[in-house]
This record gives sequence, structure tokens and C-alpha cells, in this order.
Amino acid sequence: MFEILLNHYPVLLKGLTTTLVVSLSAIALGLVLGVLLAFGLTSQYHLVRWPCGLYRSFWRGTPILLQLLLVYYLLPEIGIEIAPISAAILALTLNTAAFQAEIFRSGISHIPAGQIEAARMAGISAWQTRRRIIMPQVFRLTLPPLTNEIITILKNSSLISVIAVTELMRVSEQIASRTFQPLETYLAAALLYLAVNLVLARISAYLERRMTGGLATE
Amino acid sequence: MPMADTLSPPPTAKQKAIVEAHGISKQFGDLEVLTNIDFSLAPSEVVCVIGPSGSGKSTLLRCLAFLEPYDHGSVYINGKLLGYEDRSGKRVRTSEKRVDEVRAPVGMVFQHFHLWPHRTALENVTEALRLVNGLSRGDAEAEGMAMLEQVGLAERAGHFPESLSGGQKQRVAIARALAMRPRVMFFDEPTSALDPELVGEVLDVMKKLAADGMTMVIVTHEMGFAAKVADRVIFMDQGSVVESSPPATLFRHPKSERLQQFLNTWRERHID
Repeated sequence: MFEILLNHYPVLLKGLTTTLVVSLSAIALGLVLGVLLAFGLTSQYHLVRWPCGLYRSFWRGTPILLQLLLVYYLLPEIGIEIAPISAAILALTLNTAAFQAEIFRSGISHIPAGQIEAARMAGISAWQTRRRIIMPQVFRLTLPPLTNEIITILKNSSLISVIAVTELMRVSEQIASRTFQPLETYLAAALLYLAVNLVLARISAYLERRMTGGLATE
Repeated sequence: MPMADTLSPPPTAKQKAIVEAHGISKQFGDLEVLTNIDFSLAPSEVVCVIGPSGSGKSTLLRCLAFLEPYDHGSVYINGKLLGYEDRSGKRVRTSEKRVDEVRAPVGMVFQHFHLWPHRTALENVTEALRLVNGLSRGDAEAEGMAMLEQVGLAERAGHFPESLSGGQKQRVAIARALAMRPRVMFFDEPTSALDPELVGEVLDVMKKLAADGMTMVIVTHEMGFAAKVADRVIFMDQGSVVESSPPATLFRHPKSERLQQFLNTWRERHID
């Protein structure tokens, strides 16, 4: 296993970099979309809630592998030429947005309504109330499930090898078929995924410890 | 709090109500919680609303602030209709922005304080100064400190709500409302969630406000406070105003049987 790591580290690192770029881009873009969707899911207007709920149901209710293939094959069909890596980021973004929206929706529902009324009575607009009063608390409340989602996306990014993105998983497959050492190669890849996710979990735990002050107690 | 109308009042404006409600009604599902309420509040007037729980007194206050949309009737703040507008003869809800504009003269204090837990005491007070009034951080903090000073909590400015007592939290909430320079303050059972020994410090702040000429509507169970501070006491029962008089009259000569009963129950509980 270590022999594989040593002999093939330039390609493995390149694959890992692609994995990180795709996953982290999808997580960041998915966060923006997820927050907007969560606002939609908690809207007082049925006409806003309904399409957001439909979106969430689709992307949570179908396999991510299928979603990848759909995005990859559907876009050229409607005249949009897109590189595999962009298609991968797009599919993972659309997927994680649904899960993140659900995480944020649950966080938003835990903010006491009175805090929002207090903001509105002070003249703070609905949008500023979301930005300054609700979301800072929601990010703190939802950090543990959000970390889970980030780790899930990092692991699920291994599926994008099926649309020919040379990320860590695909690179490992290539090495395995060249060296005839599949077990050692895949163990090495597992070690790399694990290392990245352990670092992420530690960062999250550190942030959680630092942010215990000043949370909703009602 | 200086009142604009003491400076150069047009003769009629002095009589003009800051808050006025005509025939407001409110239903939650099939339950009618407010029935045809008229209400008027003159500048510098202090009105206490009392009544058994479920009598609709909190709902009335929330309707006057449009935290609950009322179903029928009208509420005017400084002569402007709150929450609705006439559009070609049909009554429609106004935008949230318009609601904010009309109720800008109203400050509100809640039973459960509703401070923002991720902000310090000072930040709770300065938040709206910065976001709504567009003050710089320095100006907002100077203003915020002055408000905390007024409620006797300047030394707690850097504390988060979780490390404040209930009484201190409520005083910060009062400072937060005062920071926006309201012309009228609504208090929704401001001492009901407090331990008995903390009630006094909050009532003291409110007394001082009343003495400074602040216009106030206070939903409360504190009869002693109402008797001493209110210009007028309103007794509500089952969604209606049953009696409305100066405290001396209302407490000593209750006309209706319901108020007599309510006061008797209260006395029995507070003499034991």
C-alpha cells in the first residue's frame, strides 16, 4: 500500500486535488443555493414553498449516480456543451443543495418566532432579519449535520469517475489496472479519503467548540 | 423623551391619538379572540390592560402592532392605517415595508424578552441603529451605551444574553426598543416570565419612562403597578373591553360583576 503511495503519488495527488476542487466547489455553491431554498421552504407563501419542496424531493429521492448521468447526458441534448468536470460540479451542487436546504430549514425552524418579531418591531427588514439574526444562529446550530453533508459529498464525488473525470477514484482504478495490485491501490485511496475527512471533522469540531457562546436557549 | 407636540403644536394635533383602533376583531380558526374593540391612546398617556388569561389582552396588543393581522376594523398609528390599504374600494394587505413605515413609532417589549442570543447586550441595542438608521459603528455604540445607561446596565454591555438574569434581559430589551426613539411603547406582560424578586427592577425602569412622558400600553398582571402608574386601566374579558377608567375608579368602584369577580380572585390570591 505504501509502495503504491510512494510510486504513484504525483498522479494520486492530482486525482485528490480534482476530488477536492469538485467537492468543495459543489459544497460552496450548494450552500448558497441551499440557503435560498431553505428560505423558500420556510416561506409564508404556498407558491414559493411548493416548487422548493418539489426540488428537494427530486434531488433527495433519486440516486446520485443517476443524477450525474442525467446532467451529463441531458445538457448536450438541450444544446449546452459542458466539460465533464463542470457537469460533475453542477450535479453535485444540485444534489447537495437539496440536502443542505433541509438542514437549514430545520435550523431556521428552531429560531424562536419571538426573536424575528423583535427584529421586525425594531424596523429591521425581513431580508436583513434573515441575514443578521436568523442565519448566523442557524450556521452554528447546524454545524454538525452540515459537516456530515460535506463529508458525504466528498465521498460521493468518487461517483463522478463514471463520467470520465479523473479524480481520486478514477486515478486509483487506472493504477490498479496497470500495477495489478487492486487491493493495495484501493487501500491507499481509502487512506487519502479518510485523511481529508478526518481533517474536515477536526475543523468542524474546533469551530463548534469556539461557537458555543451565545446560542438560542429558549 | 421629548415630545414633538410640546414644541409647536397645531391646536388640534395635541388631541390627536397616537394609536387608534376602531371595531377590530380577530379570529383564530373558529375562536373569536377579539370582538369589536375600540381603543385610543393620547400622547403621554399610560394605559394598562388587565384581565384573566385568554381574555385577548395580548392579542389586542399584537394586533395594534400588526404582529397578528386583525380581521376587521382598523388600526391607525399617527393617523396612518396599519397593515391594510384601500385599492379601488377593496381592502388589501400592504407590503411588509409599508407596515414597517407605519409602525416605526412603536417600540415593543415581549414577555420572553426575545433578545438575540448571538449578540451581546450592546449589540442587541445597536443592531437596528446600524441596519435601519444607518449609523456608523461608533455612533451606534455611543447611542447604545446611553440606552443601556438609562436602564442601569451600562456595565453589562459586553455580556451575552445567556449570562444575564431575567430582569437584566428585559431591561436590555427595553433599551433595544428605546434606541429606535419610539413615540409609544407596547409592553406584553413584561414581568410575567420573571422570578418575583426581579420584577421590581423592570417595573422601576417602566415607571421612570412613564414619568418622562413616554406613551405606553402595558398588558400586565401587576395590579399595584397599574394602580400607581396608569392614567387609565382597561379590563378585558372574553375578547371584549368590559371597563375602561382611571385606576382609582376602576379598582375601587368596579361596575361589572366580571371585574368584581376578577379583583376578588386577585385579592384572595395576594393576601394569603
